[in-house]
Amino acid sequence: MRLERHAYLDRAALLCYLATVVALTSVHDLRVLGAALALTLAVAGGGALGLMRRVVLAVGPFCLVVSVSYAVLTIPSGQFSGGYLVLVNLRVAVLTSLTFLVMERVNLARALGFSRGLLYVVTLATSQALTLRRVVEDYRLALKGRTLVRLGLRDRYRHSAASAARLLAKGLHQSGEIALAMRARGFFDDTSSR
Amino acid sequence: MHIPDGFIAPVVYLPAYAVAAGAWAYAVRRVQASLDENTLPFLAVMTAAAFVLMMVAIPLPGGTTVHAAGIGLLGVLLGVWTTFLSVSLVLLLQALLFGAGGITALPVNALAMGLAGGASAWLAFTGLRGWNGRVALFTAGAVSVLVPALLIALALGIQPLVAHAPDGTPRFFPFGLSVTLPAVLLPHLIVAIGEGILTVIAYRYLAALRAPRAA
Repeated sequence: MRLERHAYLDRAALLCYLATVVALTSVHDLRVLGAALALTLAVAGGGALGLMRRVVLAVGPFCLVVSVSYAVLTIPSGQFSGGYLVLVNLRVAVLTSLTFLVMERVNLARALGFSRGLLYVVTLATSQALTLRRVVEDYRLALKGRTLVRLGLRDRYRHSAASAARLLAKGLHQSGEIALAMRARGFFDDTSSR
Repeated sequence: MHIPDGFIAPVVYLPAYAVAAGAWAYAVRRVQASLDENTLPFLAVMTAAAFVLMMVAIPLPGGTTVHAAGIGLLGVLLGVWTTFLSVSLVLLLQALLFGAGGITALPVNALAMGLAGGASAWLAFTGLRGWNGRVALFTAGAVSVLVPALLIALALGIQPLVAHAPDGTPRFFPFGLSVTLPAVLLPHLIVAIGEGILTVIAYRYLAALRAPRAA
């Protein structure tokens, strides 16, 4: 019963987040967006600095390229607007920090629990992504550890292609293994599972 | 190629959500027809593989690298609708967990990369493989980069037209089509060549491994 209540709260929070995103992209007032960013950081509390660091790492390069390009292209023609640059960067910062904050506080798995099939796919995909990511990193380090000189373009292509192919082959193999494991545990016997 | 939140206007992303929702529903129905105890884990693990595939580096001459999208390979191996669902789930996880690409850009990214990219790769492959297998695979990889790049350039380039202040100042992405088309497409021409080569070699590795293929 308590778990169900938490699930409802998570779903409500997710819906509120989506509504807020639509609202924030419909507002072009710097004061409103500034207040939204301040509120987001206030809710983050002690984690506000870490949150902003994640935001800068995630969207900083894209925003920097757009902002610099905008300045370079519009200053000579006199069409430059500093207000626009503040508006767009502030909006990106608010939306991205809000996304990170909500994802920290909301249990995504519980929020998606209304569909057992979707929950299963998301949970399995996330866990498998971490495993497969380690495989790719292992291959990269293995190649690095076995070569003394910088490899040529052809060899680097072969390594990338082999990693990609191995990743898919491993994925295909693991999906079969997981299907057998789930069947053995009776997951597919429950007709309400999808 | 990912667009973060805040650069796409609601007048574009809300209709894009409507179109994507229809496409997702159709894709689920198509895949669900064969969704059973084998295909459900298959979809989940292929989504994970697609997620990680986007971390594989494509080497470029000069020592730099860009990241593969792997959509050409997925389109050829999994077909259009499974690729669309897998790539959409990847984009959702990337947007929510890593802030790479935003929740407002999700339908545009999903339709461009997952649906148009997957469909163009599959069409190129099925259309050309009778003539030359390698050319078909290379073209599939290349168009899976170029078609989404074109669509994303269009989506970005129309922002100043559809969302601007009364004095003409942009409110979302600031550059028109005259800037976005060359700025997005020209670098992606090089990426497309790399993705094409990667698709050919990776497919041949997979064939050598005798991996089962789901069309």
